This record gives sequence, structure tokens and C-alpha cells, in this order.
Amino acid sequence: MNRQEQREQYWFVVQQLTARELKRKYARSALGVLWSVLNPLLSMAVLSLIFSQMFRRSIENYPIYYLTGYLLWQAFTGTTNAAMTTLSDNRSLLLKVKFPMELFILTRGCTALINLGYSFAAYGVMLVVFRIPVSWPVVFLPVIVGCLFLFALGISYALAAAYVFYGDVQHLYSVLLTLWMYCSAIFYPADQLSGPIRQVVEINPLYLFIRCLRGAVMEARPPSWQDLLLMLLWGGGTYLAGWGIFRWFRVKLLQRL
Amino acid sequence: MSDRETVIRVDHVTMEFRRAERTAGSIKELLLKGQGKRELFRALDDVSFQVEQGQVVGIVGTNGSGKSTLLKIIAGALSPTRGRVEVDRSKVQLLTLGTGFDPELTGRENLFLNGALIGRSRQFLNRRYRQIVSFAELDGFMEERVRNYSSGMVSRLGFAIATAGEAPEILILDEVLSVGDMFFRKKSEARIREMIHSGSTVLIVSHSPGVIRENCTRALWLDRGKLLAQGDPKTVCAAYEKSR
Repeated sequence: MNRQEQREQYWFVVQQLTARELKRKYARSALGVLWSVLNPLLSMAVLSLIFSQMFRRSIENYPIYYLTGYLLWQAFTGTTNAAMTTLSDNRSLLLKVKFPMELFILTRGCTALINLGYSFAAYGVMLVVFRIPVSWPVVFLPVIVGCLFLFALGISYALAAAYVFYGDVQHLYSVLLTLWMYCSAIFYPADQLSGPIRQVVEINPLYLFIRCLRGAVMEARPPSWQDLLLMLLWGGGTYLAGWGIFRWFRVKLLQRL
Repeated sequence: MSDRETVIRVDHVTMEFRRAERTAGSIKELLLKGQGKRELFRALDDVSFQVEQGQVVGIVGTNGSGKSTLLKIIAGALSPTRGRVEVDRSKVQLLTLGTGFDPELTGRENLFLNGALIGRSRQFLNRRYRQIVSFAELDGFMEERVRNYSSGMVSRLGFAIATAGEAPEILILDEVLSVGDMFFRKKSEARIREMIHSGSTVLIVSHSPGVIRENCTRALWLDRGKLLAQGDPKTVCAAYEKSR
């Protein structure tokens, strides 16, 4: 098999595994894939109900403000949470197949990405409903999502490797995610914060992705080149670091499985 | 025999695992005991043998004798702790039943998923689809969820996918021949013989000596990681049966 064929085969495997994940996820629900659309909308309705009044002065179009952050946040947690357990979930498969384990992690990322795609459909409708004029900076959406995807994959590699050795990672990570969520200014305005917590939010890469997307969609403002560079660095750097960790532990991982 | 090419060379292979009580360890355990204190478990102990092209080699042994570990090492999924294995991994096809079968998916979806996992391309599966389905005797069931299949149907589908198309040069069968009903077993054994005739080298793993005796030209007996005997299938199987 030459390299080209091998790449095609890997791609075929990822497609098939992703299709499986998606079908399985909705196998037992009547509305099926529609939940990818409904879930963010319902969550938006709930949060808007509670916080719209509170932040009325500081945030215009609160539901969209929230939804923008929430979608990216969901894509990130969806990828990392699912990828963390993927090696254990597929243990029996891993030892029998002849392709790199990384494909399983990539699969979980692709699944989350496709879910994000469905959710963006709901997002588009909401933009129309709230009469937000969308103009050209929206072309940065794929760039932002791409960087976020790499960032999430990097974290996923590290988590997946760690989880094989210590199941505790799952519990620790869920606590960490709660903290991380509050530091990402998803449902409150970041500029109302001050002091060290403000700084934490400012350097938080997830807030960077969310802020850039909000700017591009809600204010028709393209990301500055510093922000673009920063996103690329966070995405690429985290991906490489995570992948490096994963490679480093590869042999030990296989033995532990 | 001796002028044939050696296709698999297993050279003093030892495989050790840290014995892990649970699948995912915990930090508490790490803090209390410290690392590296866990007991070593030797799954394979200095195993050496060679397989020549066209041979059909059976490996017998009880559960936990190291058969599956040996196969995984030959197929390249695990690297041995010591020793080495020489084999062209691109020629090896490891066949275990139901690799990645998902009960929630239909037969058709599983065919493509499973085919992808064992290294078949989309074009190949499309081209051979009818043939695979009819060999598995599953006409009319392919849109059904595998959850509703009988275990015989699942193993037939697995066998049909794995053995479709040209025979791989090295075929490894892990407990595959002792499944299905009598008729399918005859058919699958015939298919394996066909593959052998086209020049495949075959490794068969089974805990049932009957399968080995009927199909193999040579046998190996593994017991608790050690290679106890090798040679003529009848002799080796008789020794194995006696030991129980």
C-alpha cells in the first residue's frame, strides 16, 4: 500500500467511525440529530430568561452573545470529554487493527465538529431572528473553528493518554471544566470583571476564540492580526504538545490497554 | 519444506505486563504504593519459532496461555518486552470475529465499518458487497440492526468480510473456525483451504484441538506463556489433550 492509498484508507476509517458515533448518539431518541439543533437553542432560552435582564445594559443581543460562546464551548468540551475515554472504550479494537490510535481521537473531534455544524444551522436562524446583519468578517468563522479544533485535539491527546493510566483524570477534568467555563465569559460580560480574574479570562485561549467569533459575527469586526496569530499559536502549539505527549507514551499505553 | 521462504520468524519473544488490578488505575494507588512496585506478569516466556510460506500452523493452549498476546505481537499491535518478530506487517491480516461490530448499526453499516477497520477500501467493499452478503447468507437482513442478529449471523458476516477478495499473504485466524452451524463451518473451512491453496500462510489459534488437527500442517502448544511442544498436529494435540 502506498502512502496515498494509506491516507485514503485512514480517511475512510475516520468517516466510518464518525458515522458510527453519530448514529449511536441518536440511536435511541425520537428526534435524533435534531437535538444538535435544539440543545443549544433550549440552553439559550434558559440562560436568556435568567440573565437577559441582569446584563441588559452591558450586552446587546444577549441570546446571541451567549449562543456564540456556548457553541464553541460545547464543541470544545464535546471533543475533549469524548476523546478522553476513547482509548478505553475501543480497547478491544485497538489491539486488533493496523492503524494509528490517533484516528480514534480524531474521530471524536470530527463527531463534535459535525455536531457543531448542525448547531450552526440553528445559530444562522437565530441571527436572522435577531436581525443581526452578517457581513464579510464572518469568513473568519472557519479559521476560528479550525484553530479551536486543533486546540481541542491537543488537549484530547493528553487527556486520553492520562486517562488510560489514571481514571481519576475524568473527575478532575470535570471540576476543571467548571472552573474553565466560568473563566470563559460565556454568559456574562468580560469587561465587568476586574483584578486577577480579569487577567485569567484575558489569557484564556477559549475566551480568545469566543471573543474573536463574537467580534466577527456580532460586530462585523475581523480579528486583529495579533489575535489571529495568537489563535494559530494556541491551536498549533497545543496540538503539537498533546500529540507529542501521546507519542511519548504510546508503547506504555498499548501495554496498559 | 526447507527450500520455502520463512515468512514469520519469532525470535526469543518475551512479553511482560504490569499486572493491573483495574483497567484505569487511580492516583490514590500511585500515592500509596509508589510506582513500579506492581507485580510483573509474564504472558510470553522466551518463545521462538518460524513459519514458512504456505504452512498452516495451529496454536493450541488453554485460555490465558498467551495465544492472543502472541498474535497481537505478530500482527504488530503490541511490541514485545524482549526478543523480536520478523514479519512483513503489510501482508498480515488478523481475523477475529466481530472486530468493531456495533449492535446499534445495521448489517450494511457494520459491513462498511468493519471492512474499514480491517483495512479494506470503500471501492473494494462496494465491489464485493453482493458477494460478501451472499457468502454470509444474510440476504434480506442487511438493513436490520445487528442487535437483532443471532450470534451465528454475526460471526458469518465477520468471516465473510474478512475473507472476501484475494487471499492475504499471511492470514491469522483467532478462534474463528469453531463458530457458526455445521454447514457454515464446512463452508468456512472450505474457504480457508481455498486461501491456503492460493499460497496464503495461515496461523490458526484455537483452544479446541479438533480444529487444529483437521486443518493444520503443523502445531504449536503454548502453556502459561511457554512453548511446550511443536511439530506434527496429531502428536502435539494428543499431548495437549493428555495434559488436561
